[in-house]
Amino acid sequence: MKTINLHQLEKILYHVEKPGRYVGGEHNQVLKDWESIQTCVCLVFPDIYDIGQPNLGLAILYDILNKQPDILAERSFAPWHDLEARLRQDHIPLFSLESKHPLSDFDVIGISLPYESLYTNALNVLDLAGIPLLATQRTEAHPLIIAGGQACFNPEPMADFIDAFVIGEAEEVALELLGSFEECKRSKVSKQETLLKLSQIPGVYVPSLYDIIYAQGGSITRIIPAMQDVPPFVIKRIVPILPPHPTHLIVPNIETVHDRLSIEIMRGCTRGCRFCHAGIVNRPVRQRPVSEILQIIEDGLASTGYEEIGLLSLSSSDHTQILELTRAVYEKFHDRRIFVSLPSLRIASFSVELMDELRDLRPGGGFTLAPEAASPRMQAIINKPLDNTVIEETVRMIFEHGWLSLKLYYMIGLPGETLEDVQAIVDAGKRVLAIGRQIRGNRVRVHLSVGNFIPKPHTPFQWYPLNSMDELQTKLDLLKTGVYRTGIKLSYNIPETTLLEAWLSRGDRRLGRVIHRAWQLGAKFDAWGENDNMPFWRQAFTDCGLDPDFYAYRQRAVEETLPWDHIHTGVTKKHLLRELEFSQAGKTSPDCRQQCYACGILNTFGDKRPVSPLVYWGCP
Amino acid sequence: MNAEPIRVRVTYAKHGNLRFIGHLDLQRLFERALRRTNLPLRYTQGFSPHLRLNLASALPLGFIGIAEQMDFWLDEQLPLEEISARLWAALPAELILKDLRFVSNQSPSLQASLLSSDYEVILPMEIDPSDLQGKLAALLARDTIPVQRRKKSVDLKSLILDCGISGIPAKPVMTISMKSTPLENGRPDELLTLLSMDPADCVITRTKLNFLEE
Repeated sequence: MKTINLHQLEKILYHVEKPGRYVGGEHNQVLKDWESIQTCVCLVFPDIYDIGQPNLGLAILYDILNKQPDILAERSFAPWHDLEARLRQDHIPLFSLESKHPLSDFDVIGISLPYESLYTNALNVLDLAGIPLLATQRTEAHPLIIAGGQACFNPEPMADFIDAFVIGEAEEVALELLGSFEECKRSKVSKQETLLKLSQIPGVYVPSLYDIIYAQGGSITRIIPAMQDVPPFVIKRIVPILPPHPTHLIVPNIETVHDRLSIEIMRGCTRGCRFCHAGIVNRPVRQRPVSEILQIIEDGLASTGYEEIGLLSLSSSDHTQILELTRAVYEKFHDRRIFVSLPSLRIASFSVELMDELRDLRPGGGFTLAPEAASPRMQAIINKPLDNTVIEETVRMIFEHGWLSLKLYYMIGLPGETLEDVQAIVDAGKRVLAIGRQIRGNRVRVHLSVGNFIPKPHTPFQWYPLNSMDELQTKLDLLKTGVYRTGIKLSYNIPETTLLEAWLSRGDRRLGRVIHRAWQLGAKFDAWGENDNMPFWRQAFTDCGLDPDFYAYRQRAVEETLPWDHIHTGVTKKHLLRELEFSQAGKTSPDCRQQCYACGILNTFGDKRPVSPLVYWGCP
Repeated sequence: MNAEPIRVRVTYAKHGNLRFIGHLDLQRLFERALRRTNLPLRYTQGFSPHLRLNLASALPLGFIGIAEQMDFWLDEQLPLEEISARLWAALPAELILKDLRFVSNQSPSLQASLLSSDYEVILPMEIDPSDLQGKLAALLARDTIPVQRRKKSVDLKSLILDCGISGIPAKPVMTISMKSTPLENGRPDELLTLLSMDPADCVITRTKLNFLEE
């Protein structure tokens, strides 16, 4: 177990951009002794340090694993192009930041896959580490390759490369998995046997233990366990109560995308927006009590020295004690010279009141709201109904209370959307700008940020096709024309990048070959719109004899076996279908804290439900 | 705000992984480390107050510094031992506290009084000291030594105050003293490049900052 040649590395670091990305040594980094530790885990976030390091999931796992006396966890990120070229040229394997050990020296590599555009980077990281990409080509001598994160609710496209996936929340299952792995390692059982053992742990999915049977047309007939004792489906893991939050967070030495103390105040969302993947896969709602959050802030500030905190959740205004929280945060921390950001606020005057409670702790900058759809018809379809007077009242209040800039998130390409619905986005922007100008004059800025809808697995919209590139382009053109010379800023995604995300999020196991081929052709950093990898991807589909349209543009029949059907989120297909029907009938389903729709969560996890009212679950 | 702030001067070493952290990042690192001390730190006044902090001179990426200096200010007087202990605890392992003292608020800023810096360069083993001595003498004999910085040409000769090669064969060391004022700042790596060496092959340490006598 030797580290890489440090002298050689240092020489290279003189010649790359931001070498601080690759050296570690940050405050609160954990460096353990390799000689005395049983299980060595490298946590990989397959994007550059600047983007990966602030990821809270990574921080949570780093904390949990390093608290174990017999486990060490280190970090590694995707090197930027300049370092990659040097590493390849000098035959230096990719290494961990803490101890500079090559990745291949670790027992386990845990790859974080929160979104699909990291897939080629994940392959690149393994390749830079000199580890065979295909799980079938790896032996007991190689590290076990684990992946987890929100994208893994459809693990199939990455099934060829990953030994085992963690489905759902990793806090508990990560330790069970590593424990079981360590036992297998000690008793020197084969990799095959180890994997079978791991597949017995609830929430662990071992893709090599399943056979996929395809029909003539390419759709799936059945997904079946390849061996006895392998569970027919895998139910995601949840933690009934949010575990203690990490406070000794690593403080990056270089600037990162979210350079602040991030605190998860609530997990899950009860709103039931029908397009929303996070809203389904993160059920049930669990929140932290105010007293706990205040203590996390206190300890976190003392341990990091951060000047900004972010109170994170999917829908902050829905935390039942949010007003109490903002008041207490101001009361307790207003003389600490910190800023407090509270993103994900609902469109309601209450949200503005919440921000007002923070007074001078609010970071500068604009207010952000996410109506997602502008016409009442579309709002009903996606189940995010908004009363026009409420929007106008909220917007008015935002400008009256001192903000000069307002950002509004919308989506285009939603099911059943017409050009009138798209025009409604422009009209909404204009109305908001008019209100702003009336109150604050010409200094007011309105920013429409428009994303392209992708029908995501496990949502009520999972059967829908993606809008064609032409449709999306027509809608974008309408928006661009609409805001021309209005003073409204418009930002949007290029339709092609949406297409890639659609293939990867909706794909089946056969896409593994396409990902592999696209990577061979040069695709990486797919999340970075700047380098256009689309020709590589199209070539890869051709080379693999697969039709990309099959994955993106096909209306899937409700009786079809979907590639992710053996991965259970706890929400039943029956519930998704009912929501789909409601959507098609223009019917909304109000917040499920008022009324239970029997989505399946309580059936699946009801026995775990805590009795204490302090750790409130959203379910009625 | 109470009247007279207390000015504290820190002498520190920066080495190891932190060599690869640039000037602005180091400034932020110090700000957060200071916040972790829980000392009564002085902030600037105005619309967006920030921590009052003053680093003497940017240390180029990759260089070791063993006597770097920084000033920060406190709102109230505390024993030096206490400040020192809290700062020790808050600094990352590769920033080493070497000295701490109080300084008069009347004395000029570190940047304004910095005149020059001394560097020690451990040269690659394969360098022949006498051969290098010859090259250096030839270089310094020139009237001007123009080097290109971005789009500007700078005369390196006027920036070199002193330069010599010492050390035994197989372990040659070069000592360089260069101007370090906001207007005229010498870069030893430029000199090394002119002498046909790759600075990345050398270990460059800034050993001393020389200030205007108070």
